[in-house]
Amino acid sequence: MPPNTDFQSELMMKMYANSSEAIFFFDRDGKTLSLNPAAANIMENDVLEQLIAGADSAICEACRGFTSESENQTCKNCFFESVEPANFTSFQIHLKTKGKGVVPYTATFHTIDSERGIRVFMLRDLTTQFETQKKLHQNTMMRHVIEAQENERKRISRELHDSVAQELLSAVVELRALKYMTGDQKVLDKAEDTKATLTRLLDDIRNLSLELRPASLDDFGLEAAFRSHFKRIEESYGISIELVSSINKKRFDSEIETVFYRICQEAVLNSIKYAFVEEIKVHLYEEDSHLHLITVDEGLGFKEGQSPKGTGLGLFGMRERAELVNGKVEISSELGKGTTVHLSVPL
Amino acid sequence: MKNIADHQTQIDQFRVETDFDLVAIALIEPAENQYVLKWKYASGNISTRIKKILLQSGKGIAGMVFKTGKPLIVKDRGDFAQNDDLFNFPILVFENLRSFGAVPLWHNGRVAGVLLGGYREEGLMTEEKMVLLTQKASSGIGNLDGKDLILH
Repeated sequence: MPPNTDFQSELMMKMYANSSEAIFFFDRDGKTLSLNPAAANIMENDVLEQLIAGADSAICEACRGFTSESENQTCKNCFFESVEPANFTSFQIHLKTKGKGVVPYTATFHTIDSERGIRVFMLRDLTTQFETQKKLHQNTMMRHVIEAQENERKRISRELHDSVAQELLSAVVELRALKYMTGDQKVLDKAEDTKATLTRLLDDIRNLSLELRPASLDDFGLEAAFRSHFKRIEESYGISIELVSSINKKRFDSEIETVFYRICQEAVLNSIKYAFVEEIKVHLYEEDSHLHLITVDEGLGFKEGQSPKGTGLGLFGMRERAELVNGKVEISSELGKGTTVHLSVPL
Repeated sequence: MKNIADHQTQIDQFRVETDFDLVAIALIEPAENQYVLKWKYASGNISTRIKKILLQSGKGIAGMVFKTGKPLIVKDRGDFAQNDDLFNFPILVFENLRSFGAVPLWHNGRVAGVLLGGYREEGLMTEEKMVLLTQKASSGIGNLDGKDLILH
């Protein structure tokens, strides 16, 4: 391509005027020589005036520090006064901008005319990229937290069930042997009382273990886990739950089973807590290579967007858990009619 | 020893004397039922739903009184449990109790059950009513001797 300086400078001017990147030119002493419209747009008015007036280090008014290896926002070893400008070909900086507060930018700062000491400073807004990254990070963290929580629950639950409860059972059996060793009725009555206490304690421990994570979920799958969970709810809260399942004891990925169990647990507990119903229906089925769970109550219901009666974290948590396995939760509710929660996860 | 069937007659009578809306007794089930705690007798109840519930030690009203052996008085349900916490106390929901008292039933130096007296209106439960409950509990109901201390 033949050199065409006119054309090139026209392109450069267009880029300077229309680029979404903010471009500043500074002289050797840090006075502003020029800045493009994108740069003028992000600066607060008083800072902009100073920049245009060419005041010393006017950019410092807006600068909130750059990110170094040791700190998120620092002025130590400032790029503006650095003796090694080569280090600042790409770095992150925080600027106080017009209307948006302190925003992270990716910046380059280098000399384009070493004779006259003219340096160019270019900024690209990082907000969107940062949000994407943050979201990604959050999702990964959430996945790890949930996984760690489930694993730890599984461990404690097994420990309680296999070790603590077993030893306690041995103690109960040993107490039973007492009646062959003495005829003293007082001793036997006391032993009977102790046996009752231990048996209830054993029950408490089994309940604890179940609440943490039911062994049946890992050993026998969703249906078995749901059945024993619903039975316990009926026993402790007097609310009956009708389970209709057509998955025929099929087993799924452990992560998916956990998501289904926890979301169903949350949805049912919500119905118990807020809907004041006597009956809840739960429907579990596979269709179009998706696994579905629907819980229905005909209770008080709520209006979407109304301030939640609880923490409001329950529904959020359900969605978060579903997202982990690429599933989605749809919640529909009508005042006085009841609430339906529909979870579907691709298999 | 008094007859076990006596329980129902005794609490029916007690309810008439004391003017409670509901009087209920929670007792330990025998060994073949794993010694679970249940509301076995009720007088003035709306439904029989509460009798079906397995009470867990340390949870719910009966569970709390049973485990601690201490009486419990609630003059206004709102101070005791918020709406989203109410499901932990099914007897309050099913029987719509607004104020109540509950005392341990002693037998042989151990807590053997719980006696509850309640109202479907706030503020009706008073210290005087609590005294009536405590007296009733210590006088022995059914085959319970009501003694919290055994002197040999």
